[in-house]
Amino acid sequence: MVVAVSVPSQAQAVLRGRLCDPAFVHSALRSSSDTNYSKLKYLVASSFSEACNNSVLLLGPRGCGKAAVVDMVLDDLKKEHPDAISVIRLNGMLHNDDNCAMKEIARQLCLEHQLSFSKMASSDDNTEFMIDMLRECGLAHKTILFVLEEFDLFAQGKQRLLYSLLDAMQSLTSQAVVIGVSCRLDADQLLEKRVRSRFSHRKLLFISPSLDDIQRLLEHLLILAKDSGLPAKYITDYNSRLTSIFSDKKFKGCLNYLMDADATTSNILRFLFRAVSYMDMESGFLPIESFLKALSSMQRQPKMDSLQDLSILELYILVCMHRLEDKEQSSYNFTSIMKEYRSIQDAYKTSDKYASTVCFRAFEHLLDRELISFGDNRGRNQALEYRPVKLLISSRELAQSLKLNTTCPAVLQKLFDRERYM
Amino acid sequence: MDLAATPSRSKSKPRSSPAKPVAAPAESRMDLCTPSKPTPRRKSKSTASPAPMSPATPSTVRRSRRLLETPTKAAPEVQVKATPTPTSRGKRAAPSPKTPAQREPKRQKRHPRKRAYYRKVVYDGGEFEVGDDVYVKRREAAESDAEDPEEECRVCFRTGGGVMVECDACLGGFHLRCVRPPLRRVPEGDWACPYCEAKRAGKVAERPRPPEGKRIMRTAREKLLSSDLWAARIESLWREPDGTFWAKVRWYIIPEETAAGRQPHNLRRELYRTNDLGDIEMETILRHCSVMSPKDFRDANDGDDVFYCEYEYDIHWHNFKRLADIDDELETKEDPNDEPYNAGDDYNSDTDEDSEYDEEEKPTSSFSARRNQSHELAANSRKGRIYGLQKIGIRKIPEHVRCHQKTELEKAKATLLLATLPKSLPCRDKEMEEISIFVKDAICNDQCLGRCLYIHGVPGTGKTMSVLAVMRRLRSEFDSGTLRPYCFIEINGLKLASPENIYKVVYEQLSGHRVGWKKALHYLTEHFSGGTKIGKQANQPIILLIDELDLLLTRNQSVLYNILDWPTKPNSNLVVIGIANTMDLPEKLLPRISSRMGIQRLCFGPYNYRQLQEIITSRLKGIDAIEEQAIEFASRKVAAMSGDARRALEICRRAAEFADYRVKHSAQSTVSANKGDSVVCMGDIEAAIQEVFQAPHIQVMKNCPKFGKVILVALVHELYKSGLGEIMFDKLATTVFSWCHANRELVPGYDTLVKICCKLGESKIILCEEGSKHKLQKLQLNYPSDDVTFALKESPDLPWLSKYL
Repeated sequence: MVVAVSVPSQAQAVLRGRLCDPAFVHSALRSSSDTNYSKLKYLVASSFSEACNNSVLLLGPRGCGKAAVVDMVLDDLKKEHPDAISVIRLNGMLHNDDNCAMKEIARQLCLEHQLSFSKMASSDDNTEFMIDMLRECGLAHKTILFVLEEFDLFAQGKQRLLYSLLDAMQSLTSQAVVIGVSCRLDADQLLEKRVRSRFSHRKLLFISPSLDDIQRLLEHLLILAKDSGLPAKYITDYNSRLTSIFSDKKFKGCLNYLMDADATTSNILRFLFRAVSYMDMESGFLPIESFLKALSSMQRQPKMDSLQDLSILELYILVCMHRLEDKEQSSYNFTSIMKEYRSIQDAYKTSDKYASTVCFRAFEHLLDRELISFGDNRGRNQALEYRPVKLLISSRELAQSLKLNTTCPAVLQKLFDRERYM
Repeated sequence: MDLAATPSRSKSKPRSSPAKPVAAPAESRMDLCTPSKPTPRRKSKSTASPAPMSPATPSTVRRSRRLLETPTKAAPEVQVKATPTPTSRGKRAAPSPKTPAQREPKRQKRHPRKRAYYRKVVYDGGEFEVGDDVYVKRREAAESDAEDPEEECRVCFRTGGGVMVECDACLGGFHLRCVRPPLRRVPEGDWACPYCEAKRAGKVAERPRPPEGKRIMRTAREKLLSSDLWAARIESLWREPDGTFWAKVRWYIIPEETAAGRQPHNLRRELYRTNDLGDIEMETILRHCSVMSPKDFRDANDGDDVFYCEYEYDIHWHNFKRLADIDDELETKEDPNDEPYNAGDDYNSDTDEDSEYDEEEKPTSSFSARRNQSHELAANSRKGRIYGLQKIGIRKIPEHVRCHQKTELEKAKATLLLATLPKSLPCRDKEMEEISIFVKDAICNDQCLGRCLYIHGVPGTGKTMSVLAVMRRLRSEFDSGTLRPYCFIEINGLKLASPENIYKVVYEQLSGHRVGWKKALHYLTEHFSGGTKIGKQANQPIILLIDELDLLLTRNQSVLYNILDWPTKPNSNLVVIGIANTMDLPEKLLPRISSRMGIQRLCFGPYNYRQLQEIITSRLKGIDAIEEQAIEFASRKVAAMSGDARRALEICRRAAEFADYRVKHSAQSTVSANKGDSVVCMGDIEAAIQEVFQAPHIQVMKNCPKFGKVILVALVHELYKSGLGEIMFDKLATTVFSWCHANRELVPGYDTLVKICCKLGESKIILCEEGSKHKLQKLQLNYPSDDVTFALKESPDLPWLSKYL
């Protein structure tokens, strides 16, 4: 049975495919000459053409497309010079130890050049092997690219890895490029002075795109091309609707709001992916509502959400803790919370009076949800009741959630409000 | 002990015969079927030739040997196997998809002057194959050339006539019936003849004397063991263009010929395989013998020409290595020696098809064949190192490298590279003079007591480079014969896995052995305190250069102490040159170390701008790519900051890169580039300096999302208000909310703010605790508040922010 795939779901698949393909997202970079892409490509390519060593740092906040640009450059260069490049990829999170990183370099080099690799080789052996390989590859006019992600994590301890890499590069006539990728802006300041002196201090800064860039990006990603295999009428309809949405004031406000919090490319992509997922499958168009829905799902406040579905008893405990904090009682624990709770219950005679064990269960639940936490890490073997705790949510959030909670008893609201404005 | 007949010396004879260009042996070994071979003579010969002798039972087949008096035949018979296996390399690899038949036509048009390699050669009646073990004549006119005797019984002195048993002690043969008491069958296990048993027991036993007039014929085995013959293993066979047949052989050596001499544990029939290879003429090859691994040797019970080989002997380092698996090992061992020069010769002498073959064949075959082999063969371990790496360089050099015409800017970039060795080292003449005096003193005077030089200076002031330049100069002096031999060891402290490893490295450099560091320390201490010396060059002065000396510091500083204590020992012949950055390293150490180290010091001061300028201009001599002022600007800037020559060079190179980038991209967009464009100007240098010295945080701050900016300004605001660096997130959020209310901005959610803070913290614009602390999170600016003010004063999207600054 052949399942006829409807046009809207086809279009959705096309759009999703685009959003998930970093090469397509950043393909606009290829045309212009002033982008990080072309600068990095020039740097790496010059190590081919002029047989020199280079080291460069790519800095910028997360989600700005550093790794994507590196990948694009590598892909392009691999196409231009087949089998003249070998890429060694290291990640500071995975290879945090110099010996293990060295071993990984040796392993990947062996893999690239189809040599057999031994796990038992010592770190000295591996270092020597790397240097030999660098020399050999330099003679054969092959480039080795070292991509060090989370570069800042390599700059810890003695930095033997970076030292041997950079020292080899300043003393050998090989062709190697070290590309450090880091989100720490001060990554090069972390280097030890000897290493820093050997590092060549090329930096490429990645920053989040401006509003104009984002608008161009949106058009690039969402406008369907004529030759995407969908009915021509649908494409023209879809595109005209989309352009009208792009010029819509509401949409612009929505986009602005998104960018006020986080304007990185990855955030925009996440937003668009959600919007495409909320696509109207009847008509196959992207209405403004899907964008608004996507925005609201992006702007979730997890603490508020978890406050929403707390039980009354738990809210009581939170309010008690808040009262204690307002009384300038800086350190308190479960027993003092219970004292406060009892005094409230005695004064107001509410129906929400529970036994201490029940309260303790509610208290533990709050701990699990990380709405409250222990004040310090000491006293692990102390009983939970006596360990000092802290409230992790602000009074503002608590007030809001009490207001929104329909089942919240009025007396609780009063308790909270009164002492607040007293 | 130094034997008179060390193999390398005495074996020089066969090798000294006409040396010819060795043309790509390994690579072209596959073309074994030279087309002009099939001659009618060959056919008749091959039928006439005796059956190939089986090495295991040599005594049964005793052909009449060729007479040596007969001169070399005009055209020695060559038997080419009908189905030639490609090469020795092909043999171990998986069968190649390329059959030789397919390449046959190509080879037809081969130059006839080439060497032809064979897998198997029938030479003078014997059939020799690559991998066979053979006896090799030591002298042309050795005694019993004529006959190869059969073994005689030691009692009746007759050959043949029944089963013979061999004594395990003297290797003499005995008829079963001649032994007293007679034996019925060959005894199990070890057996010693009555004479040897008697000798062992301390009695004097008269051995039977041979009958008068009978000359004792020594067998080939006896000759070999008394070093009148050699044994060797054939590694490759070829025919020279002039028709003579040659073989490359790997020598075996008897225990007596090793540096250690015969040891008690050596078996009578034990041989060592060496790592020494030689080219010999086929003429000198006598006949087959068989050298076996321990296992095969145990199984092989008879035959006189059977030898035992368990170890390999390194003729350079005089050490032994066990051959774990003799076959595997042999193949690997063969490569390091004959491959390096192939790579070179390939290009001049070989046609394209060979390199083609390499490209397709090598990676796959080597991969499949070696994947499962043991640790030793892995490329990243020491032994395998020499093995796999050559093939990387085999492919032809890409076009762009060969045909590229370099522009001035590219030349400038190339000379400014840190890796390019400058022809001269300007500005360090005085220091280099001092170093060379120091080292020469140590080498020339026998007494170099307690000599230690400490060199210090900030990074990039040419410390290591100067020392190495001095050592290079000394090396050339040594080569020209004006200096005594010395031993130079260079160690970098940062490249050692742990400080203790330095012993290991030093010991290895001296002796060629690898041992654990504790053992190495023991040996070294003994060596330097005048006990047993290590290595061949025991009495040469040793110059030990330790770069990054401060990395050798351990908790109790024992490593440094040991190293610096050795020179003070009499007869140690050791000088230590230590290099580090800190000026007062000796003072920071324990007094007993600093007293040993701190006597002679040499300071490499940071370069001033004139020196930097000189360094750069001396590198750029003859290249007109960088403006004079631009160089001065760069060197002044660097001299003011650090005086690091590396940095100055890098800045100039970076500036040249900028200019090059500009030129190339303007060429692409077809804007006519005027002359001035192709020169590095001040602007480029400025940009490069900006990149090196300026942190990019201001740009990132300018590019923050809106709420990020608000948070940064709020942080500055709170900082001024409270005077405290740290601020709680709760307080910060209150400020942000109130500002947003006051200025009619959309109020962000609480959690969104936490997220933004964490993002800023990730790029270290602010320092913050983890986000799970939520409202108790502590925040702090990581950059001066003035930078924030500068960056955010005029932000177009938030005009109201400036009033809070």
